[in-house]
Amino acid sequence: MALPTILDRGTAERVRRDLKGSRDLSGTLFRTVLQLGLLLTVVILAVLLGQVLSLGWGTVSGRLGDFLTAESRSRAAEAGVFQGLRGTLWIAIIVTIVAFPLGIAAAVYLEEYAPKTRLTNFIELNIRNLAGVPSVVYGILAYTIFVTVLEPVTGGKTALSGALAVAVLVLPVVIITSAEAIRAVPSSLREAGFGVGATRWEVTRSHVLPYAAPGILTGTLLSLGRALGEAAPLILVGAIPGSVGYSGGLLNPAQLHEQFTAMPIVIASWSTNAREGFDRATAAAIIVLLVVVLMANATAIIMRNRFEKKR
Amino acid sequence: MTTKRRAGFAASFLALTIVAGACGGDDAADDATTTSAAAAEGTDSAGGSGAAEKLSGKINISGSSTVEPISQRVKELFNDEQGDVEITVAGPGTGDGFKVFCAGETDISDASRPIKDEEAEACKASGVEYVELKVAYDGMTVVTSPKNTAVECLSLNDLYALIGPESEGFDNWSDAQALATELGSTTKFPDAPLSITAPGAESGTYDSFLELAIDPIAGDRVEAGKLTEDKEGTIRKDYNPSADDNVIVKNIEGTATSLGWVGFAFAEEQGDKIGEIAVDAGDGCVDASAETISDGSYPLARPLFIYVNTKKAAESHALVGYVDYYLEAGYEAVSEVGYVALPDSELAETVAAWKAVTG
Repeated sequence: MALPTILDRGTAERVRRDLKGSRDLSGTLFRTVLQLGLLLTVVILAVLLGQVLSLGWGTVSGRLGDFLTAESRSRAAEAGVFQGLRGTLWIAIIVTIVAFPLGIAAAVYLEEYAPKTRLTNFIELNIRNLAGVPSVVYGILAYTIFVTVLEPVTGGKTALSGALAVAVLVLPVVIITSAEAIRAVPSSLREAGFGVGATRWEVTRSHVLPYAAPGILTGTLLSLGRALGEAAPLILVGAIPGSVGYSGGLLNPAQLHEQFTAMPIVIASWSTNAREGFDRATAAAIIVLLVVVLMANATAIIMRNRFEKKR
Repeated sequence: MTTKRRAGFAASFLALTIVAGACGGDDAADDATTTSAAAAEGTDSAGGSGAAEKLSGKINISGSSTVEPISQRVKELFNDEQGDVEITVAGPGTGDGFKVFCAGETDISDASRPIKDEEAEACKASGVEYVELKVAYDGMTVVTSPKNTAVECLSLNDLYALIGPESEGFDNWSDAQALATELGSTTKFPDAPLSITAPGAESGTYDSFLELAIDPIAGDRVEAGKLTEDKEGTIRKDYNPSADDNVIVKNIEGTATSLGWVGFAFAEEQGDKIGEIAVDAGDGCVDASAETISDGSYPLARPLFIYVNTKKAAESHALVGYVDYYLEAGYEAVSEVGYVALPDSELAETVAAWKAVTG
């Protein structure tokens, strides 16, 4: 607690003035630039949110239940986002099932088991690069693999293909964040485990993973939030920018082998719909997607706090 | 503490595995689940439908984004009576629609133009047989600001002089005067700034305008050596393109001497926000209206089609039921979404063409 007192701004300023005796012009300028940068960011965010909320609030507050359960219709006043929500829900489920276990497993292997050789370094480097690949490129990859090659399994341009595309897209991010969380585990913890004769699996299971869990969870759930907002890869694997005929039921597994749409696709297609009222419906759909993503992020924070308390 | 934590971790992993297992396992049971769910839903919605045969099945529709609103509205009306028929409607564009239609992926292809020869060949190659059904007319309305009283009618030559490939750089209406006069027009353009906002090249409305208004004259100009061949099939590049009709209307409304075009249906919805310009194709000025479009006197109009896969129709009662509904009880959708309904005689021809398929 000593540092903040020494580096207290007033004190630092006084010391400097005593020693140099002049005004710190460039310092003031620099601070102003920083403040402007922050201000600009906040203003942009406020304008965006304000515009979306003011346009979409009428729909959200007026007929939320109807808006969430109605299908996409040709009249904005009757249209709802049910088909999009259902697709997005399927994507969330598949990403959770496929990308999270795979990604965490890969991270555990890389950090705990793999020898540090040139090969593993090369692989790690590539995973980092993959995380930066534009999502459209993943769409092309997903089209080739899931829609064309694996057609017997996925059924072609289906919800399953779309969800797998997004799962593959977030996989590198899950691996990187999980690996970083595991790397942050103090090696003294591991050494303590090995010291009492534990095997590597025992140390990983009962020391490393529990300690790293908050970090892993935050990283993975934040990447889920990103996954839910992706439109580009879904368009390439054939998401329908229109009205989709689903089998009945909220989450009927048959829907995985049917054509699909998702919230970002609904938003994109409504935003170009010139008919009366679709501008407001689009804004309302954006609010719904924002709430879904914020919920995923809030879950991340709550889970992290819970795990940290336990630790 | 440690045990608890471990148990929690194990539990969450277990949960994931169970969900994964459940999903994999259910694939085989797909059909059974679908049927029972559909049956349950059917009893719910059967109330209002009356004595008609209960249909179920899937229908896949893609194609023109212009026709999509009709097919979508017919779907909504049809589903009110036949809730078990699952219909997917998408509108990627006529060309993209025919691509999947001729690959046998869709049952109905919406089209804002007749099928092209190479598309028909693709259909033939993959054994897709179809019937062409004309369902409506779409017109394009040439629009300007309501404040613009200097221009009330433009000939196709005028439109070419103002918007065509040779008009690049004209930022005043009078700049186009010489070219219009050379083309034989007698219209006197005002001395006022020319600001053009219209659909972008990705839009079907752009294509139709190009084909109906610009291309015929551009062809003559190329033959006369006044226009290079690479400019044929284009319009001036220095206009404001937009995919969003609302943006077009905003620009048209906001500039006093603006010029542009939008779909007839959309122009009608705008009321007084935009001013409409009549079009003269050599037989006098014709205003865009439902009558002039369906009797063929308005030059900037086109018919809209649906193409139905006849082999699939032979196998699917749901598909036949949908198309029947499209042409009968559901036909009101055409005018409801803003297009021009076929005159009775033409509708009768369409119905006859369809009945010839279904017998």
